[in-house]
Amino acid sequence: MTTSTATAAPTLGDRLRRLLPMLGGVQGYIGLVLIVLIGIWSQGDRFADLDNLTNAIGYFAPRGILAVGMTLVIISGGIDLSVGAVMAVGSTASAMLLTEMNWPVAAIIPASMLIGAAFGFVNGAGTAWLRVQSFVMTLAMMTVARGIVRETSDNVSIGTVVLGPDGEVAPGSAQFQLLGTPGTTLFGIPLVGYFPVLALLVVVVVFQLLLTRTTFGRHVYAVGGNRTAARLSGVRVATVTVVVFTLSGMLAGLAGPINAAYNASADPQAGLGYELDAIAAVVIGGASLAGGRGSVVGTAVGALILTMLDNVLGLNNFSANWQMIIKGAIVVAAVVIQRPDLLAGAVARLRRRDEPPPTDPGPSGPASPPTPAAPRGAAGDVTREVTTKEL
Amino acid sequence: MISATPPPAATDGGDQDDDAAPVLRMRAIGKSFPGVRALDGVSLDAYAGRVVALLGENGAGKSTLINVLSGVFGDYDGQVVVDGEPVALHAPADAQRLGIATIHQELNLVPDMSVADNIWLGRERATGGWLDRRDQVRLAGDLLARVGLDLDPRKPVRQFRVAEQQLIEVAKALSIDTRVLIMDEPTSALADAEVRRLFDVIRALTAEGVAVIYISHRLEELEEIADQVTVLRDGRWIGTRPMDDVDRDELIRMMVGRDLHVPPRAGRATTEAADDGTVAAGPRLVVQDLRVPADPLAGRVALRGVGFAVRPGEVVGLAGLMGAGRTETLEAIFGVYPRHEVSGTVQLDGRPLRARSPRQAIERGVALVAEDRKTQSLVLSATVRFNASLAALRAFARAGWLRRTAERRHVQDQVRRLGVKTPGLSTVVGHLSGGNQQKVVLAKWLLTGPRVILLDEPTRGIDVGAKSEIYELVAALAAEDVAVVVASSELPELLRMSDRIVVLCEGRVTAELDAAATTQEEILTAAMARRALVAP
Repeated sequence: MTTSTATAAPTLGDRLRRLLPMLGGVQGYIGLVLIVLIGIWSQGDRFADLDNLTNAIGYFAPRGILAVGMTLVIISGGIDLSVGAVMAVGSTASAMLLTEMNWPVAAIIPASMLIGAAFGFVNGAGTAWLRVQSFVMTLAMMTVARGIVRETSDNVSIGTVVLGPDGEVAPGSAQFQLLGTPGTTLFGIPLVGYFPVLALLVVVVVFQLLLTRTTFGRHVYAVGGNRTAARLSGVRVATVTVVVFTLSGMLAGLAGPINAAYNASADPQAGLGYELDAIAAVVIGGASLAGGRGSVVGTAVGALILTMLDNVLGLNNFSANWQMIIKGAIVVAAVVIQRPDLLAGAVARLRRRDEPPPTDPGPSGPASPPTPAAPRGAAGDVTREVTTKEL
Repeated sequence: MISATPPPAATDGGDQDDDAAPVLRMRAIGKSFPGVRALDGVSLDAYAGRVVALLGENGAGKSTLINVLSGVFGDYDGQVVVDGEPVALHAPADAQRLGIATIHQELNLVPDMSVADNIWLGRERATGGWLDRRDQVRLAGDLLARVGLDLDPRKPVRQFRVAEQQLIEVAKALSIDTRVLIMDEPTSALADAEVRRLFDVIRALTAEGVAVIYISHRLEELEEIADQVTVLRDGRWIGTRPMDDVDRDELIRMMVGRDLHVPPRAGRATTEAADDGTVAAGPRLVVQDLRVPADPLAGRVALRGVGFAVRPGEVVGLAGLMGAGRTETLEAIFGVYPRHEVSGTVQLDGRPLRARSPRQAIERGVALVAEDRKTQSLVLSATVRFNASLAALRAFARAGWLRRTAERRHVQDQVRRLGVKTPGLSTVVGHLSGGNQQKVVLAKWLLTGPRVILLDEPTRGIDVGAKSEIYELVAALAAEDVAVVVASSELPELLRMSDRIVVLCEGRVTAELDAAATTQEEILTAAMARRALVAP
């Protein structure tokens, strides 16, 4: 009996096939390569420059980190519109801790993540326990968080570059700037040594492992794929939902100080519209807003596409307005090319138009019984096996 | 092979006699999916006023053929002739225009819209964009009367039972002046009395000259309702026979390509052993006075004091009509409902089982194979391995970190034990046939190592071969001293699997019968106790 081939030693092809869903759609990579090629072709020297790429990724990194949290939320079947505002809360809180309390960076980052997590927890609690739809819950949280950050900061930006009494940048502030100021690197390592890039990389790896290698990750997919089935299989649906939103908030808290350091100031208006970029990255990365599908690596590719797009358009002097228009078009295009059935349907329609309508087969017609000698289709063989098994 | 049989007898008659020309003639129909030839050279005729049955195991190509006919798959090969005119079915609208209506197994009604609105959906009766509500309701009432329903067309569909919704679908089909009505497994969710009523409606329709294409796994139904039967196997046409001239054995031979022996009921030994007193252990599961209030919004009926006991190694069948409370009983035991809504006691091995959630029930060794595998049991977009290991995931994890080798090995063992036919463990479950999907669900629960397994309609919508495998599995589980409770609408199946049968009616136990001694008639009588027949 040939039940399954899965125990056979996996060939290279099998391994690749198993890897594919994790890596997101091939289309994502094609899109990325295309944009990079356009960049090299149009602005070769300026684009393919390590500093340019480092800065581009660093600039986008806070949104990339938000997108990773958004990936979890979207796979679990929800949405988190509050990440941009929560990131602004993290930004301002970090700047205040730095400038007013003189906290060291090593304490500021966890504190900001904790604050973000608290906001996320409220989102999760409202969604899971009060059964408010996540769209509504996080939309409300978006305005609440924005209100909080504007109130606490008195509507003014807080500069994070603080000068000491000697006129030099204070040591704590200098340390803080390492989190994002362009041109700074840790231990002199290019690209990966730039903190925003490093943080994004670590977050992507950790959350990809969390999703694919832990029971929690499986439960996230199950909750998004089929809530009822998940519950009846013993998954704590409410708990998973709360944790997912808390993690999303926590990552927004991490993005806060990075964004503040990049801009050298915490603006209460920071992160406006970032939630939409995060969602765009997740969707380009192959996730479905219906839940149950997506991967962190796919999201990272989506984020890179948006990053490179911004950069290439910027280098070619497209205005910010045009960047927005093109970005929107790219999101739709990315989703459509991930649905090959749509394209196949269009092709079939076109082909049909060229064909003449079917004609009458005549009185005898091809009504002959099927020839048993003809080769069987794969589907036929499947049924065959099952039915003859032990009857 | 029997496929080299002469062409269908009915075709011969049709060619000679113009009066009996088929309304619908399909010839050499083929349809390919990437890598799969799902249909190849299939023929089918439908005659006015007659019922042609389409028979075949899951994966034989029935659904594909139906989808071609209803215009879902525009790119098929072959000829479709309606009233002697060759036609092309590229879109559902084409089928509708030709008077071909399909009632799918999963009903296509909008639950929160009224019956009348559902019937006229997409073809609203309106003047200048304004709905003629009174007109719609009145005409809907006429159509409902034709299918023997007397209900208020202004009420939302959600309020009606599945059997009634099915008839509402028939009424909707009649509203487009249907000449060919396709019914895909219309009785799979109906209890026996409701099936009678549906048959009365089908007979009334054929008397009006409608041609019916009827798909069902239940041979006894086909014997009663069909004039002709066309058998498919592996996407090929195997033969067409007049129903009067063919017996069950031959049909089964045509379906599976060989004789299918229905083995007698097995696994009786445990009952006798228990009667001897050799199994001294008490019952594994004791349910007493289980009560749950009705929840019409969720389609849940009330339990009004259900009680029974199951010994280890015993199979107890739950019988009853639709709405008797079979599903509710199983789900209440499994902790699906909020604790405060459930009263009564459930004991597992002498200790109270107060499951507040399915999770707690699973931890105590209870498993529930739910009624609807697609909406309740499977994450269709995920893989076989993902689904099979979901309920027992903690067994394959250390501190939340998955041990994937152990997981794969255990899932592989169950997949092999159950004979799941899948290209691999990474195959998406939604791509498997119904029978194989159900086996994945069973694998999921067997991996939890259950002491009590609750099966709710475990063979619904799956083919004969897979059904008998599930019967064998139930016997095997009983032999391993698992306590089994199985609910089913098919009485022969229930009689075959169970040691004892508990009959429910309106949320109460109306009889407890020894499966070896009782009859279908006795069970039905108990199932209808204290309640009028559904059919008027």
